[in-house]
Parts: sequence; C-alpha cells; structure tokens
Amino acid sequence: MSRFFERYEADPSHFFDEVIAPDGIPRSHYDKLLHRFGQFSIDDVKARREVVNIFFRNQGITFTVYGEEEGVERIFPFDLIPRVVPAHEWQTIEKGLVQRITAINEFLYDIYHTQKILKDKIIPPELILGSQHFRREFVGVTPPLGIYIHVTGSDIIRDKEGNYLVLEDNLRTPSGVSYMLQNRQAMKRAFPVLFDKYKIRPIENYPQELLRTLQEISPNSRREPNVVVLTPGIYNSAYFEHSFLARQMGVELTEGKDLVVNDNKVYTRTTRGLERVDVIYRRVDDAFLDPLVFRPDSKLGVAGLVNAYRKGNVTLANAIGTGVADDKVIYSFVPAIIKYYLGEDPILQNVPTWLASNPSDLKYILENLGSLVVKAANESGGYGMLIGPESTIEQQESFAEMIVANPRNYIAQPTISLSRHPSFYNDTELYGCHIDLRPYVLYGKTVTIVPGGLTRVALKRGSLVVNSSQGGGSKDTWVVDE
Amino acid sequence: MLSRVAESLFWMSRYFERAENTARFLDVNFNLLLDLNKITHIENPNYWVALILVTSDRDRFNNLYSEYSAHSVTDYLVFNKNNPNSIISCIGLARENARSIIESISSEMWEQVNNLYHYLQNITPQFVHNDPYSFYKEIKNASHLFQGITDNTFSHNEGWDFIQIAKYLERSDNIARLIDVKYHMLLSEAQSQPEIVEGSEDIIQWMAVLKSCSALEAFRKVYLSKIDPDNILRFLILDRTFPRSINFSVCAAEDALWRISGSSRHRYVNNADRLIGKIEAELSYTAMEDIYAKGLHTYLEDLEQRLVKVGEQVHLTYFAYHTPDIESSDIAEALPFTGVAGGRANWSQAQQHQQQQ
Repeated sequence: MSRFFERYEADPSHFFDEVIAPDGIPRSHYDKLLHRFGQFSIDDVKARREVVNIFFRNQGITFTVYGEEEGVERIFPFDLIPRVVPAHEWQTIEKGLVQRITAINEFLYDIYHTQKILKDKIIPPELILGSQHFRREFVGVTPPLGIYIHVTGSDIIRDKEGNYLVLEDNLRTPSGVSYMLQNRQAMKRAFPVLFDKYKIRPIENYPQELLRTLQEISPNSRREPNVVVLTPGIYNSAYFEHSFLARQMGVELTEGKDLVVNDNKVYTRTTRGLERVDVIYRRVDDAFLDPLVFRPDSKLGVAGLVNAYRKGNVTLANAIGTGVADDKVIYSFVPAIIKYYLGEDPILQNVPTWLASNPSDLKYILENLGSLVVKAANESGGYGMLIGPESTIEQQESFAEMIVANPRNYIAQPTISLSRHPSFYNDTELYGCHIDLRPYVLYGKTVTIVPGGLTRVALKRGSLVVNSSQGGGSKDTWVVDE
Repeated sequence: MLSRVAESLFWMSRYFERAENTARFLDVNFNLLLDLNKITHIENPNYWVALILVTSDRDRFNNLYSEYSAHSVTDYLVFNKNNPNSIISCIGLARENARSIIESISSEMWEQVNNLYHYLQNITPQFVHNDPYSFYKEIKNASHLFQGITDNTFSHNEGWDFIQIAKYLERSDNIARLIDVKYHMLLSEAQSQPEIVEGSEDIIQWMAVLKSCSALEAFRKVYLSKIDPDNILRFLILDRTFPRSINFSVCAAEDALWRISGSSRHRYVNNADRLIGKIEAELSYTAMEDIYAKGLHTYLEDLEQRLVKVGEQVHLTYFAYHTPDIESSDIAEALPFTGVAGGRANWSQAQQHQQQQ
C-alpha cells in the first residue's frame, strides 16, 4: 500500500468503498494504480496537479459562476485519482442502459401516439397528461426513425452493497460529456506511465459517434445532412461544452439569432446568404425554442422553428416533449415501463421512490422528512431538493407546506449512502468522497455507449451533492479490460 | 460562414489591434518625455492630454480623473474597465469575441488571447510605472504573436480575410490618429504657455512618432537620415510597402474585401468594396502638397471618417444580413469605438443562464 493510502480510512460499515474492500485489502483492479501512486511524493502530486490545471486553463475549460464581476470563470474541480470500472461491471451497466433507454423511447413514442400504456392502466393518465413537460401539440408527430431521446446521460450510483442503481434519467439536454473527454486528455498528460499499465477502453470517438447519430436522424436522405449545434449563448454555464462539441464534430455552433425559418424550412444566416439546416442538436430547453409557440419572451429561440419541425423539415435532438419521461414521478414507473414494452426484468434497478401524489406515500413522506431526500419532480442540477438528515426543522416545515400544496410535484427517496472513492484533499491526503457516474447514451439507428462516463465527486467533505453548480468536481473514469 | 462568426472574428481582430496601438501610443509618449527631459518633465500635461484627444473620449476621461498626468492617463488607457478602449477592456473584448467562436478559431489562437488576458489580470499599475518599456513590449509582442499564430494555424479563407479587414482598418485609423497626436501637442502647447521649442525638439517628436510605428529603421532605409516632417509624413501616410503605413493598410484591407466578394479594380459588387477602392485610389495619386493644401489635421480627420464608413458598410453587407431591425444610424454611432461583444454583454444574459441537466 502506498503512503497516501496507508492513512486512508474506508469506513466500510457505512459506505461502499470503490477502492478498498471491506476486509481492508484493495480491490484487484486498483492494484496497479495504488502501486504507481505509492511511488509519488506530495511534490510529485503537486507537479501533476499543476500540469492538469494548466491544461484546463489553456483549453478554456472553465465554468461560469453567476453574479460575480471578477473571475467569473473557475476551473472545474478535478480529482487526480481516476475511477476504475472493471469490464464485467461495465457490461452490466451497458446492457442495463440499452434496455432502459430502448424502453423509455418506446414509452415516449406510445405516449405521443396511441397511449396504450395509459389505456392499460400501467400509469395513471393524470400523471402524464398533467405533466408540465407533456406537449400535447406533438401527439401524432413522428420524429425520424421514431426516436425521441438521441442523447441521454443517466445518473448511476452504487448503494451500500455496491449495486449499480439508476438515480435519474436525463432525457432533455444532459451536459458534462466534454468533461469526460477533457478529463481523459488531462490524465494522459499528467500520468502517461499509468496509462501504459492498464488496458483502458478509449472514449475519444464520442464526437464522431454523436455526429453519426445526428446524421442518421436527418429528415432528408438526398443530401449530406447539415447538422448544427444550438446554444443559449456564451453566458450559459455549459457554453464551453456546446462549442467543444461543435468543434469536435466540425459543425457550426449557432445561437438562435443565427437561424431563420422561411417557408417552414430552417436556414443559417451566413456571409453568403442562407444555408439549409437538417438537424439541430439543441442545448436549449423546450420552453425557449420558439417564441411563437412557447415562451414569447424568449430571445434564444427561432420564430417558426416548431412548425418547421412539425412539418418534418428539420430534426431536433432531443425531440420536443421528452421531459415527460424525465419527470421524477415517471421515473418511478420505469421498471414497469421496461416490463410492459420489452417483457424483461430491469437489469439496473431504481432507487426506491415514494410519490407524494399517492396518499399513503404522502403520509409516509411527511412523517419521515428528516431521513428522506425530497426532490421536486421537474428540477435538475441539485436545485429544489431537501436532504432530510442535513436539513433544519424550518426547511422541513417549508418543504412540507410545498408538498401538501402540490403533491404531484414531489417525490421522496431514502438517503442513499453513495459509494465513496478516495480523492485528494489539498493534494496532501486522501479522503473518501461520494461519487456517481453519468455514462452518455446515443440513440440513432442503434444504441451506442462509449465505455466510460463522467464520474462526479462531492469534493466538499461529507457532502452528498455532486452537481457542478453545487461545488462538485469530477474524475476520469476508466473502463479496463482485465 | 455564419454572419455572427464573421462578425466575432472581425471584432476579435480589431480589439487586439486596438490594444496594440494603445500600447504604442503610451510607449512612445514615455520615450518622448525621457528624450526631452532636459526641457520638460514627465508629468507635462500637454503630452498626456494629447493621448486622450486622439482616442477621442475626453468627456469620459474628465468624468473619472481630475488631471492629465502620466499616472491618470496610463490608468485610464491601460486599466480602466469603464473605458471600453483601455488595453484591459480591449483584450477582454477580444477574448470574449474569441470565446464566442472558440470552435471556429484554432486552439492556438484561443490560447494566445486567453494567456494575454490572464497575464493582464495579474499586472498592477505599479508594475507598469516601474517598467513601462517591458510592459508595452509585452503587449506588442503578444499582438505580433497572435497575428503570427493566426497566419500559421488558421486557414486563409473567408474568416482570415475578415480578420485582415479588421486589423488593417483599425491600424490605418490608428496611424492617422497617431500622426494627429503631434498636431494636438502643438495645439495644446500653443494654448498654454508655450515652452521654448527648439528645432531639435521637433525632430525628436517626429522620431517618436516613427518609433511608435516601429518605422524608424524602415524609414532610414528609404530616406537615410533626412528626418524632416515632410518625409516622415510621406512615409507614414503614402508608403505602399511598409506595413504600418496608411496606404499599405488600406491596400491590405482592400485586398481582403475583394477576395471575399470577388470584386476587382473597376468592378465593385458592394459599397464596402466601392468605398475602400475609392480611398485606395486617392491615396495612390495623392502628393504631400495635396495634404498640406487641405491641412494635415483636416485631411486625417476626413480619412478617419471615411474609414468608419467602410466599417459600417462591411457590417451592413456581411454581418447584418437579414436583420432589418438594425438601423444604419445606430451602427454609425457604434463604430469604431464600441464592439459587438460590448453591446452583447447585457443581451439576454438571464435567459442564457437556464439550467443544464
């Protein structure tokens, strides 16, 4: 064991530790990593930290902290110790995600067509029809290949026994894939020797796979599809990612004002006039897409875009209205959805979920606010959340009021002890930080998952929140062949 | 190429060039005052007010500072974020424009503008005060490096041409202003108690103007040591081979505009081409007597106005395509001393902050 790991405390009675087994012996797929880090002094680690920081700063990989004048851009916190996922575990994740995403897509198709699942009373219709993300205007509109969720990023966690569970499916505009790619680049610069020791599956082809997926869903097969990325603009926290992906794919990065709709066709404004667009990988929420249909005050959208989409002249990825399956209430039905459409048992389990809209669950939730995690059904990024054990009585009371006022909008889950992974604290000692995993799933003619994902780390001591907007960081994720 | 991308390339380049020229203005003033320290002192306000006059925003300066001194003028032109033309503002805006098209430029270009931005964040007024020469040299070199990187890592197609147009329009405008500094110095000296102007002082001032264009050596190769105002003006305005002369810059801007539109001599396809062609043709057939006949200051002012018009037409032809809501009068006012990113800063920021999953 290396000098860094000698002083590391795994605490197996409370948490699943990714590196150290309950008997105190390191898990075998971490052996080479531990050996290499054992050769490092604190200065070695600091030197590598510097290499990584310079890489991120030079690449402009920063995220924006809103509401400050000076230094509004910060480097995304990055932990030097990579997470290692052995191939057999990855196989389970991959199969489970393919199954899950296929079923959810069938569900979306059904919801926007015959609504068989509602007629068969698998899901109470009011949960769907009353969802704020259900777009009834799109019932009967079929996107190319019948695919709604072209790019998704499910959040996966591990419980105390080490089982992989899906925490949420991000079916609208999941972000973070650029960090997955850049983390790998940074690690290659800082730890070339370590790379030589592992058979790490490559992820660098993600942009090509994304482009292929986007080209496959073009409504027009007669010409080379013109794909563009649509961003809210440079002040969006994920702007770096939008531009990164456009550059990696070699396509135009557009803002709403770069696009114009004429005769239900979408064009880019160029120095040479108008150019036709076939596929838009949009990183703008539904509500801002088209001021004529959704929010009239939107300055980010394109007037007429929705009609062009409805006419089948342009494909949006992801499709409009996928948020209905992203809802944390519908999430609790995903195992039933898998069973209903595929006739299979789910490979990846859900986290147990109570629905406030269900009277007996509501009672349970209100009685156990202090031990549950309560989430608003439609928020993301760690907003609108109550973590029971860390909350004050006042916070619990105000949540209780909100839940009773609008039960459809809330769910509760037990406080899961996310697995922990040793991470550097001030580059001098290791500390067990909670982590999750977000693999990215592409769905065109086939479902593709590059082997890896973004491992997010709650770098604040003891914190359970891994979102970057709430002080989380990330680490590289290696799927290794044994 | 997307109009917005073309526009950001244009402003990225223009702001970078402007920062370099501001550094040149300041550098030459320090040098000049050191050269003249026998007859005047470094805080002589006549020399500092001239710098504010050529950047043509005296009112804004007067709102912020009570006197014209080395300290206040340096602070205003280097550090002040309320001055959109300060070096720090220009590099910030160049970077902002670069950031908005980061996928279109080479990563080396981005790294260079980003590095300079971070370098400037760590510079203190004290540092500049102690070693102005090194600081301005750093800015000039950073700009040269950026241009070299651009030429060697970025395809020489339409986007590169927009970068050239911006650079040379800005440069010709700035050379005209720089020559005008001399005019303003004489003017302000005449208004206040004139100091004893010796013949040698005049020559030293003109040499300083040449130096600030890195033109002294090139000038000597042409005119040997005949440093008289006539030759210097001819060199800086009419020389066709020196890259920091007005004529050279106008020709370079014209070439780039013609490459984009496919225009050629006697055949223009848009107003930007027509106006730049007209300036270029006139410069080609202008003699110093024509300039004196008009009056140097008037001639330069007129030239600056016509260059503004070219910028305005570039905007209307290539950037404002299909956006009838932009009125040309707004643009005339916005050029040349404000940029796109500056105007965009408030633009729908709140909506852009929408949550990402």
